[in-house]
Amino acid sequence: MKLREDPVERQIDYRHPLPVRLWHWANAAVLVVLLMTGLLIFDIHPHLYWGEEGHAGVPAFVSLSGTHLDRDSPQTDLQIGSRHWDVTGILGSVIDDGFGGKYLLAAPAPADWQFGATRGWHFAFAWILGLSLPLYGLYLLGSGRLQKMLIPTRGDLRLRSIANEFWQHLRLKRARGESARHYNLLQKVSYLVVIFVLIPVLVLSGLTMSNAMTAAFPDLIALFGGRQSARSVHFLAAMFLVAFVLVHVFQVFVAGFFNLMRSMITGRFVVDREDSV
Amino acid sequence: MTGLISRRALLGSFAATGTLLAGCSRLDDKTPFRQLLDASDGFTMHAQRLILAKRPLVRELPFSQISATFPMNGTKMPQGDYYKRLLDSEFRDWKLRVHGLVDRPLALTLAQLQSLPARTQITMHNCDEGWSAIGQWTGVQLARLFALSGLRPNARYAVFHCLDKIDLDGKYYYESIDLDDALHPQTILAYGMNGKQLPVGYGAPLRLRVEMQIGYKNAKYVDRIEVVDRLDTIGKGRGGWWEDFDNAVWYAGQ
Repeated sequence: MKLREDPVERQIDYRHPLPVRLWHWANAAVLVVLLMTGLLIFDIHPHLYWGEEGHAGVPAFVSLSGTHLDRDSPQTDLQIGSRHWDVTGILGSVIDDGFGGKYLLAAPAPADWQFGATRGWHFAFAWILGLSLPLYGLYLLGSGRLQKMLIPTRGDLRLRSIANEFWQHLRLKRARGESARHYNLLQKVSYLVVIFVLIPVLVLSGLTMSNAMTAAFPDLIALFGGRQSARSVHFLAAMFLVAFVLVHVFQVFVAGFFNLMRSMITGRFVVDREDSV
Repeated sequence: MTGLISRRALLGSFAATGTLLAGCSRLDDKTPFRQLLDASDGFTMHAQRLILAKRPLVRELPFSQISATFPMNGTKMPQGDYYKRLLDSEFRDWKLRVHGLVDRPLALTLAQLQSLPARTQITMHNCDEGWSAIGQWTGVQLARLFALSGLRPNARYAVFHCLDKIDLDGKYYYESIDLDDALHPQTILAYGMNGKQLPVGYGAPLRLRVEMQIGYKNAKYVDRIEVVDRLDTIGKGRGGWWEDFDNAVWYAGQ
């Protein structure tokens, strides 16, 4: 791993082999497209249900709906559980349907939006996510990277180490020296959750929305507790992934944007000396 | 139907703002993008056909799970005097035609269709907009009709020509599936819904139920079935109304 050691200045680790960088950037791009198209698909029916069926006659646990649609300035109501908020102007966009009625979209849609094509792009890019995930899982296992980089060590799990790590995170303190050469516990856990929980859940819940796939694998429906549950899980897992990406990008800035970008592009990661400023 | 957006309504809104799909220079219309989408859809179809090699059935649900209300999507009442006359006469003079690459073209009245062995199935309808509802459908298997008509060796697709106009420039709705889906045991032409005659809003006199695929493939108001060997002469060449005018995927098993 260690490429070169400069006793005076710094040390460079070859941190990210090519498969890691390829998977990272391919999936970063894919997730942007999937999120954008996914939100547009959600846009047209901004309601989440639990169980099998879900439509206008069924209670939703999350719902955006237009109220006072007959008035000049309709309002948007956000409902989560039994609570309601007026989100007019923040979420929701009421449009004229051209037949004398009004409807609500979660967000304004492009004027020449093709909903059908949006779904097509979502499926096209989902192939990349769905196919690369098992390959990457195999790579992590086969290369030993899973054990070496991602599985928390016994030291990571010591109470003192955990407490210290939370403290360092709260202070937004950049890791230096030896500790910068390894992922910390929070990093390890979040990467493991993304790779082995969130993305698999997204892929499986996506497949559960397919008639043909559930004909072949009926257990998928049982796994999520119904077709609409799968749709809701798909949306919520996507939101968790968005939260991960936001924190991830924020941490890149905190921990050294230039060095981390270089390491994910070239593989080489510069370790600051303990006593460096 | 508050909170339930019909895409027909959306199209209307786009028309109202003067940016109707046709004529717009669009990303998806440019050949490489279009080809990429088609390639992905073809890949999905071949992958699913491998997975579906044993021809499984979609889940059929118990009677107790039938939705109390079922969204009425797309056309709710076909326009024009022709449909009105058919409706007024309870479709007595109407005949379903099966023609094209068949050995014996058919013209069957609703009564004749109803006298054929029926299949009743309680299934979930999944709209591409995201909603799902459960309904009971009674009808005749498409495979049975094709057994009566016979299929020429070069037959590949079944095209459904419908009685409703969904768009604003006067084209009748059309959809198509390949014979793999057409001959699936759960692919039926339904004349009954939830134990009653199929209501107008759900596609009377006849609607396609192609349970392996998503909502818009389930054409309502089916008037005739044309068996063809290629789709590029149908509509704008992509096999269906949404496929032609909204760049929707043709193989919709996703």
